[in-house]
Amino acid sequence: MKLNSFDKSKELFLRATKVIPSGISGNKNPAFAVPGSFPYFAESGEGCRYKDVDGNEYIDYLAGYGPIVLGYNDPVVEAAADAQRKLGAAFNHPTPRAVELAEKLVGLVPAIDWCAFGKNGSDVTAYAIQTAREHTQRRKILMAKGAYHGSQSWCRHGLGGLIESDYEHVLTFTWNDADSVMDLVKKYDGDVAGIIITPYHHPAFADQEMPAPGFLQTLRKICDDHQIVFILDDVRAGFRLDMAGSHEYFGFKPDLTCYCKAMANGYAVSACCGSQPFKNAASRVFFTGTYYTSAVEQAASLACLDELVKSNAIEHMMKMGTMLMDGLKKTAADNGLEVRLTGPPTLPFMTFASEKNFRRSQLFSGEAAKRGVLLHPHHNWFIMRAHKEADIQRTLEVADACFAIVSKEFGKD
Amino acid sequence: MKRLPGKIFSTALVKAGVVEATTERDLIRAHMHLHAVLPRLADLARLDDEARTIISGMNVAIEFFVPGGPKVVLHFKNSSVQAVRTGKADVCLMFPTCKLLNDMFDGKKVTPIPIKGVHRMGDLKKLTRLTDILTRYLKPSKSEMADKEFRAKHVELSLLVGLAATEAIATIEAKGRRVASHMPSGSILYHVKGGPKAHVIVENGKIEVFPGDFKDPTTTIEIRDVDLAVDLVKGEVDTFAANGSGDIKASGGLSLADEYNALFDRVGLYLS
Repeated sequence: MKLNSFDKSKELFLRATKVIPSGISGNKNPAFAVPGSFPYFAESGEGCRYKDVDGNEYIDYLAGYGPIVLGYNDPVVEAAADAQRKLGAAFNHPTPRAVELAEKLVGLVPAIDWCAFGKNGSDVTAYAIQTAREHTQRRKILMAKGAYHGSQSWCRHGLGGLIESDYEHVLTFTWNDADSVMDLVKKYDGDVAGIIITPYHHPAFADQEMPAPGFLQTLRKICDDHQIVFILDDVRAGFRLDMAGSHEYFGFKPDLTCYCKAMANGYAVSACCGSQPFKNAASRVFFTGTYYTSAVEQAASLACLDELVKSNAIEHMMKMGTMLMDGLKKTAADNGLEVRLTGPPTLPFMTFASEKNFRRSQLFSGEAAKRGVLLHPHHNWFIMRAHKEADIQRTLEVADACFAIVSKEFGKD
Repeated sequence: MKRLPGKIFSTALVKAGVVEATTERDLIRAHMHLHAVLPRLADLARLDDEARTIISGMNVAIEFFVPGGPKVVLHFKNSSVQAVRTGKADVCLMFPTCKLLNDMFDGKKVTPIPIKGVHRMGDLKKLTRLTDILTRYLKPSKSEMADKEFRAKHVELSLLVGLAATEAIATIEAKGRRVASHMPSGSILYHVKGGPKAHVIVENGKIEVFPGDFKDPTTTIEIRDVDLAVDLVKGEVDTFAANGSGDIKASGGLSLADEYNALFDRVGLYLS
């Protein structure tokens, strides 16, 4: 078979480096995947597949890093967005879509009574911690080590552009270790405003970890006992585990919840949602941006959420994800390799059991990309509603060839 | 001579208005000069003929220290140099403050206070000749850089200085400590194609730097050629762009490389 090459991607990247810092900024920079064996620029998409600028087509398991939940270019969502676009994209005011979307979310998620809209996950996680601080009049925010809550200063990765005061009141605990949370609560008694947490632990460059039995419920109790605001960052997993919110899936109740990725099938909208006691504090935090009230994205979100519910999409994605996870495990074993598949079936991730430095993962993912399947070596994957059994089957065929290459290069486990 | 307790001495000088109080920046730079720059004399013995000849005639331990601050003892013995942070020396040179030590490394005229071994002026003269050679490699002229072999040595020594200097960022600088606190343990091999190799071992936040190869590193950073490495050590390379273009190839544990690079990027703020 002819393997994909990435000449136009590289050519465009060289142009980009002349006019854009790093060529491509943030986590989409090639450095975080497999430079030279991965596409850098996309061209078009349909269903669970997209084409890059070289014309290579991929069965995609990255979904634009999450927002594509139904599939690329979904006709229902696109029709809703088109209809709103004809009326106008941005105005001096919100449109009725804002109220309709807030009502939709409040109807879907029993734990919430209100919503405020932004564009990205970072907008709403920052708003949530500010709301927690306003509500409690305290300073400290606790988050799990390695967790990703966005790219704003309070939680941004790295050091570039940051000053100590940006993060001096943000403290980290160990995932699944309630004692490490309690230690911080005791140490900063009366000054902890909020605990922000993802429904399960999904750091990059690591296996995913589900919550230990009782862990999230214990955090709820700690928050209740110490008047701390419990914030759920459901930006990545939201509406991929349960349409009533990931907290329903795991059986706990947050005070504030942040949604983004699966809200609008690729349109930029995010929401910070909360229960009634936190609404006044939220209203005292000035929260706006030029496009925060843009109507096209909100119309797309209304259609996307309806589609997810109507088509029982999560059940289908769970089935496809389970098929992929089981299939990869078996295919790896057939090639004499042991792999770890972690996370829920709708957001799976694979690492090789015999290594911690991702060299096998990088070879595997690079070879898969050359054969038309996009599986990121360092970041969790996303199942879309558009994935069908035939796509999973094809993926496993490609995986078989790639496992054989890994086995040949590194030996069997 | 019995040495005055370091902190008491330096505090007294500050109180008397003789010297300024040490800033975080001064301390970091002094740490880098003693623990990243001076230890390169050991590499110089390997890379430069003239330096090797000078070192072969030396049998002495020379200490540089700042009261209450960093200290290094350079052991010259058996044609080699070893830099350690504790122990006794034949010659002790005291710098009352980090700033004065840094001034000397910046080329300003500073006379350290010799508190032991004043009679060994011959060894100190040889040391000065060695540091002059080291300075030539670290701050070369354009004409020197035109020489391919010299350029490769410049890259190796500069890379080792830059890598070793990250320790001061990781342990002293408040921002750097934040990164170091969650940096995974592991090893990083830097390989300049057609040039030197160097490696870094990170163990529970502690950083050690060595010249040469390392088997099965956690992370490998392959740099296209010596010219790119020259720009890299000057801090003039957009590393993310270079990764995408293939000029730099990083493989293996990229989270370690990413965290470590955040420290390495800051070295230029202190050493130039």
